Amino acid sequence: MTAPAIETEGLGLRPHRMDDFASFAAFFASDAARHVGGPMPAARCWHGFAGDVGARDLLGFGGRAIEERATGAFAGQTCLSHPPHFPEAEIGRTSMPGFEGRGYAPGAARAARAHACGPLGWTTAVGYIEPDNARSIAVARRLGCSADPAAARFDPVDLVFRHPAPEACT
Amino acid sequence: MIAVLQTPRPTLRGPRLDDCEPVAIFLDSDRAAYIGGRRNRTDAWRTFAVLVGHRELRGYGMASVEDRATGASVGMVGLYYPEDWYPEDWCPEDWCPEDWLAPEVGWWIGDPACEGKGYARETAVAARRYAFDIAGRPEVFSVIAPENARSIRLAERLGATFDRTVAAPNGRPAPIFRHPAPEARA
Repeated sequence: MTAPAIETEGLGLRPHRMDDFASFAAFFASDAARHVGGPMPAARCWHGFAGDVGARDLLGFGGRAIEERATGAFAGQTCLSHPPHFPEAEIGRTSMPGFEGRGYAPGAARAARAHACGPLGWTTAVGYIEPDNARSIAVARRLGCSADPAAARFDPVDLVFRHPAPEACT
Repeated sequence: MIAVLQTPRPTLRGPRLDDCEPVAIFLDSDRAAYIGGRRNRTDAWRTFAVLVGHRELRGYGMASVEDRATGASVGMVGLYYPEDWYPEDWCPEDWCPEDWLAPEVGWWIGDPACEGKGYARETAVAARRYAFDIAGRPEVFSVIAPENARSIRLAERLGATFDRTVAAPNGRPAPIFRHPAPEARA
């Protein structure tokens, strides 16, 4: 089963394809991925990539690719994830190099959040963000998230940003 | 969409969420020693999710083996071919030689009650036929730990022949068996 496509401003959310992996692995092999677990070799990256796709098939939520509508390029991904080691469900988003600052990550996260709070019935979600990842913290604030210092976290270094309650989400 | 394959006794079908429990029990047992070693439930979930994602991304992959008599999910069999595999210590179950250019046919029967019934052989035959005839792969291999005598014996019964030995990330030898193409099996 593949996820339905979602269209929003300037971008589409669609299921991942195998040909997204080259960009994905190149990003995760680079220093640009230092705030999201990288740099990491492609063999490890494959686990994140295929695992997000498989989790979505199994659970009904997971990762989707962000496609730039004008060019069709793979611009990043957003992921609804709640693996066993996460205390709470996360709405994650990653931009591929060259696609930052265009509003794609927050736009995609907003669409993913609407899906989570609507059809999936989530009542809350967080983002786990490294404290020196200023760009991601700025995106979290744009999404209306606020720091939740009391929230549990799997990595004690991370900050936890909590999304607004579903009724307050736009 | 990937077909449901019928073999004489077990059925091969797409993995489902409720297969995760028997998969996790198997992967957290010593019986997983030859396929990367025991792993906890978190890692077992990831392994399972990766296999499911592989099916969607590649259009073929590993299937769940269902005992037709009981409906129980007793193992997995099928094709595995990640992108850019190469030896790596981080995840020793997931590696391949740099020149690996073909999918692996892999199998495990995790339920001890179903061992020795020929389920692995029947389902591996079906998976291999799928690889050649439906997925259109020109060649397929199996990589088998040298100590896994039963699995090597099964590969040889399937007509697979020893191709070469490469070094696994942990430095141990890893024999590769090449499966015969359909015309050679006729």
